[in-house]
Amino acid sequence: MEDEIRINGTLVWYYTFCPREAWLMSRQMTPDEDDENVVIGRFLHENRQPRGRKEVEVGHSKLDVVRRDSGTLVVTEVKKSRHSLKGARMQVLFYLIELRKRGIEAEGELVVPEERKVERVVLTQEDRVKIEQTVEELRALLRRATPPPPKRIPACKRCAYGEYCWA
Amino acid sequence: MGTSVYLFSGGQLRRKDNTLVFESPDGTKYLPVENIQEIYLFGEVDLTKSLLEFCSQKEILLHIFNSEYEYYMGTFYPREHLNAGHVTVKQVEYYLDPQRRLDLARRFVEGAARNMLQVLKYYRNRGKKVEGHLERIQELEGKIPETAEVPALMALEGNIREQYYRAFDAIVLQEDFQFDRRTRRPPENHLNTLISFGNSLLYSAVLRETYKTHLDPRIGYLHTSNYRRFSLNLDVAEIFKPILVDRLIFTVLGKKMITRRDFDAKLEGIYLKESGRKVFVSEWERRLGTTIRHRSIGREVSYRRLIRLELYKVEKHVVEGEEYRPFVAQW
Ligand code: SF4
Repeated sequence: MEDEIRINGTLVWYYTFCPREAWLMSRQMTPDEDDENVVIGRFLHENRQPRGRKEVEVGHSKLDVVRRDSGTLVVTEVKKSRHSLKGARMQVLFYLIELRKRGIEAEGELVVPEERKVERVVLTQEDRVKIEQTVEELRALLRRATPPPPKRIPACKRCAYGEYCWA
Repeated sequence: MGTSVYLFSGGQLRRKDNTLVFESPDGTKYLPVENIQEIYLFGEVDLTKSLLEFCSQKEILLHIFNSEYEYYMGTFYPREHLNAGHVTVKQVEYYLDPQRRLDLARRFVEGAARNMLQVLKYYRNRGKKVEGHLERIQELEGKIPETAEVPALMALEGNIREQYYRAFDAIVLQEDFQFDRRTRRPPENHLNTLISFGNSLLYSAVLRETYKTHLDPRIGYLHTSNYRRFSLNLDVAEIFKPILVDRLIFTVLGKKMITRRDFDAKLEGIYLKESGRKVFVSEWERRLGTTIRHRSIGREVSYRRLIRLELYKVEKHVVEGEEYRPFVAQW
């Protein structure tokens, strides 16, 4: 079972919001596809690759990367609102660590197209410890046979699992 | 959310570029495919393979009724699109473990009985003479926990339902619609015809909602999975029959929206004519769209949505071990 647990950036992202959501996602229990937020997410995903960007696979994650003229490799993560930036930052940091493990130095950026916002993400030693700790917790969570029960949190309001969790 | 299309007359259903076209003696109808989630075919309709491919790709379910006798024949269920192996494994685990299967099956019967009682209580409060049936159902309900095997539970469920249907005469109070006894294929009297028709619509509706979850409709608990193509939808439908189908029957009969003239007697039984089917179906759609306040979701949800929520609860039961408590109507 151990090596079947595949941690990827998206799971890290979900985990920062709601551990339960990460567990459900890890079991391919995708949420209600009629949900408006899922539709927006899919649209963003399908339409988010301007010229010069590439999707590459690293570990179990798919990353959008660009190479700047200066030679720096940049991992970009596009989100639909500023609400999710904290989690998105964790996600990008996770990617940066994954890349570094493979000997690649990169920087990250968070993009919120609707708000024309771009934020730079650089990996510090402190972040590193924090992410590794988070990934350990996540791994332990995903090893569980059942997800943690739903807990009312602000994210529930916009979560596509809402009806599943609270039915 | 997708809509449902009902095609009553015969004709040809074809794919034309990116739309569906229905050609019938009444004319040509274009169906906007992006919105359709299911199509009911009542008439003699010609289908082609390319149409089925198209429906599969667009995730449209086709419910097919025998065109002469309009009983439900089956559903063209497109390839599963929300696949979660973990859920299927859990569903099967619960099916294979006799104790767990029985436990889930009992919950469906319990929910069905509670909703039947709600319906009867409502009519008792309006002065209908259903007290005796009500009491007998309550007695039988008490035996649900004592059943040791699914077949025994099925039999008990049959007894409960029999008592319940017997109360219909006191509610409907129409000579033309006496219950007599439950007959299915073919239904042998007018009331049975309505019950069968309504139940078929409900089975299809539950199937459609199941398609939007990770559950496999072939694995049921009360209804055995052995020889039926779909059975989970039959299980979940038990909960909703009294509230959705039977109440609708009382409405259309009480308001004389459907009368004896809407039926045909054929060699093999009694059938609803197109006029009757149309009335029934439009009432059905109205009912599914009716909303009620849902406490834990915190807003109004339609009955159609409520069916989906019920399936989510079953999914949580098998995946998370969170005990499934069937929906019971408040009135
Ligand atoms: S609805 Fe709430 S508890 Fe459920 S997955 Fe979403 S955020 Fe988590």
